[in-house]
Amino acid sequence: MIMRALVLAAAALVACAAPALAQTPITAVRVPGAGPIADPGAAVWKDTRPTKVAMLAQTVTLPNLAEPAVKELTVRAVHNGGWIAFLVEWKDATMSDRLMVDSFGDQVAVQLPIDAKATAPSPMMGNPGGRVNIMQWRAALQHDIDKGAPSIKELYPNAWTDVYPDEVMSSTDAKPYAGALGIENPVSRGVASPVLDQMAEGWGSMTVKPDQHALGKGVWKDGAWRVVITRPMVSDDVNAPRLVAGLRTNVAFAVWDGGHREVGARKAWSPWIPLVIQGAAAKDAR
Amino acid sequence: MAKVYNWQLGREIDYPYEVERPEKQFAMIFDTNKCISCQTCTVACKTTWTQGRGQEFMFWNNVETKPYGYYPLGWDVNILERLGVQEMKGPVYDGKTLFDAAPTGEIILGYLPDDRDYAHPNIGEDDSTGVMPQGAHLQMPHMQWMFYLPRICNHCTYAACLSACPRQSIYKRREDGIVLLDQSRCRGYRECVKACPYKKVYFNTQTKVSEKCIGCYPAVEGGRQTQCTTSCIGKIRIQGFLGAPDKPDADNPLDYLVFIKKVALPLYPQFGLEPNTYYIPPVHVPPPYLRQMFGWGVEQAMEAYRRAHEDKKLLAAMTLFGATPEISHYFRVDGDSVVGYDAKQAEIARVPLREPAVVRELYDIKNKVYRTNIT
Repeated sequence: MIMRALVLAAAALVACAAPALAQTPITAVRVPGAGPIADPGAAVWKDTRPTKVAMLAQTVTLPNLAEPAVKELTVRAVHNGGWIAFLVEWKDATMSDRLMVDSFGDQVAVQLPIDAKATAPSPMMGNPGGRVNIMQWRAALQHDIDKGAPSIKELYPNAWTDVYPDEVMSSTDAKPYAGALGIENPVSRGVASPVLDQMAEGWGSMTVKPDQHALGKGVWKDGAWRVVITRPMVSDDVNAPRLVAGLRTNVAFAVWDGGHREVGARKAWSPWIPLVIQGAAAKDAR
Repeated sequence: MAKVYNWQLGREIDYPYEVERPEKQFAMIFDTNKCISCQTCTVACKTTWTQGRGQEFMFWNNVETKPYGYYPLGWDVNILERLGVQEMKGPVYDGKTLFDAAPTGEIILGYLPDDRDYAHPNIGEDDSTGVMPQGAHLQMPHMQWMFYLPRICNHCTYAACLSACPRQSIYKRREDGIVLLDQSRCRGYRECVKACPYKKVYFNTQTKVSEKCIGCYPAVEGGRQTQCTTSCIGKIRIQGFLGAPDKPDADNPLDYLVFIKKVALPLYPQFGLEPNTYYIPPVHVPPPYLRQMFGWGVEQAMEAYRRAHEDKKLLAAMTLFGATPEISHYFRVDGDSVVGYDAKQAEIARVPLREPAVVRELYDIKNKVYRTNIT
């Protein structure tokens, strides 16, 4: 089969590899403290300057979406020397955190090039040889963590069944009846974090990494999402970016409005935006 | 878009991928004239594959009553309406396929059913087109009619689900043409659910990914027919393999019925997917409805079926339905019997073409009593 996606990804690389110069750089401000910065209500965000990020319709590969619901994100970034965090805010009148056949969840993703020194890969999920780290927060995962995964009875109050295999069989024997859960598909299994730590090198190649380092939290209030996505700046994962104070790299974003049936390639995306990781000495430069 | 040849439409069609036909193609034939909608196939499939959480209303196999039964609700009329009226003046299809009709930004014309569309698996069951007036008597085709349509995944040659998946999570096996959805790779985007016009890919709310009929591949790999086929008490099905459309093998029962005798027809071939489950049309139903559903050649198929008793080889192929749980790769007429053979040409079934009938005398001399049931 012809890998249509790869051909198109190469075309997109040529078209979009250069960071958008007009975009204001995002500075990850050095803040005190240690450990993950996963709370959108944390005090550290008060000292940061928001950057507006214009979101584009994904119209390069099929299927696409001519009119995405979210046109703009407001982004803040901080780091404490050990963890970097992004606070992403956007207006969304409908909170969507339930997955049913015709119900999709709100999502937002932060993308970083894995190799900050190389030429920037395609901002559209990287390209072969140009790997990117994509940390994707999902409202449905946030729901599972905050309130537990919805059972069939919660989704369909009138549903009725005789017996499930896991009620009468050992967990090993019942596993084949659990579909993707039985084989530990990372989007199926219960998770500790609402953020999937992933990598990609082009469309269709998104892979949830075996080691999950990304954390975060999303809160929907008054018609807007405030979502934090955070990750360790340095890890022993060869497929993670190595972020150090003083580094200049790029960051890109994608957002999905579940209420608008946005999922997968049907999304709004941003080109690369310069990301400056503030050094200790440059603390006052903000 | 690549140009691929769709033998059911007699022309090339546009498809997103270059396709090499599989070595052999998983296929199934249903004799709709024999189906009584007992749903034994549905239950066999369900108890084998879809008992888990999130699969409660998921039927990889279902039987619906036509014209008013659908699962999910209105699946075929919904996509037919979106495709619009198309021309079909001969064996070469003039109209648009679903790929031709793809809106801007889409790979294929499709629609995502509402969640509640799956809530009524037996809607319209046994509903006829209308009421027979007082004193009417049946004529052919029937003035008021209904028939049962058993359905599984069509394991299409040009699968819509496969073409729509942006992650290539769906693949078609080279060895037997079975279309599978990789449960470890799917991320639940539901592009396949939207794209499949037959609505045979389902979303599982508990695993958050999609699932579909797997053609009972563990059985098929072992030379056995699918659960829905072997459990069919009406013996209305046969499952096996189709060879190349341009080189039909007259000794293969499926090639013989589909390619040579053309007595079994694909379901909505105008969609362009080259579906691989085939239907012997119900002979009592008005042909215009059946032409829309099974494409060109409906009248010829019905006529061949009516005359099957005069055609020993056709009768033989149809007598193999339900004759063995194993897959008949070959068949031949031996005297007044049909013999089925497996892939290694070993005999697996031998069935008389006509059931021996014994008529008993009306009066039982020994017991000095009249028999009320003499057959």
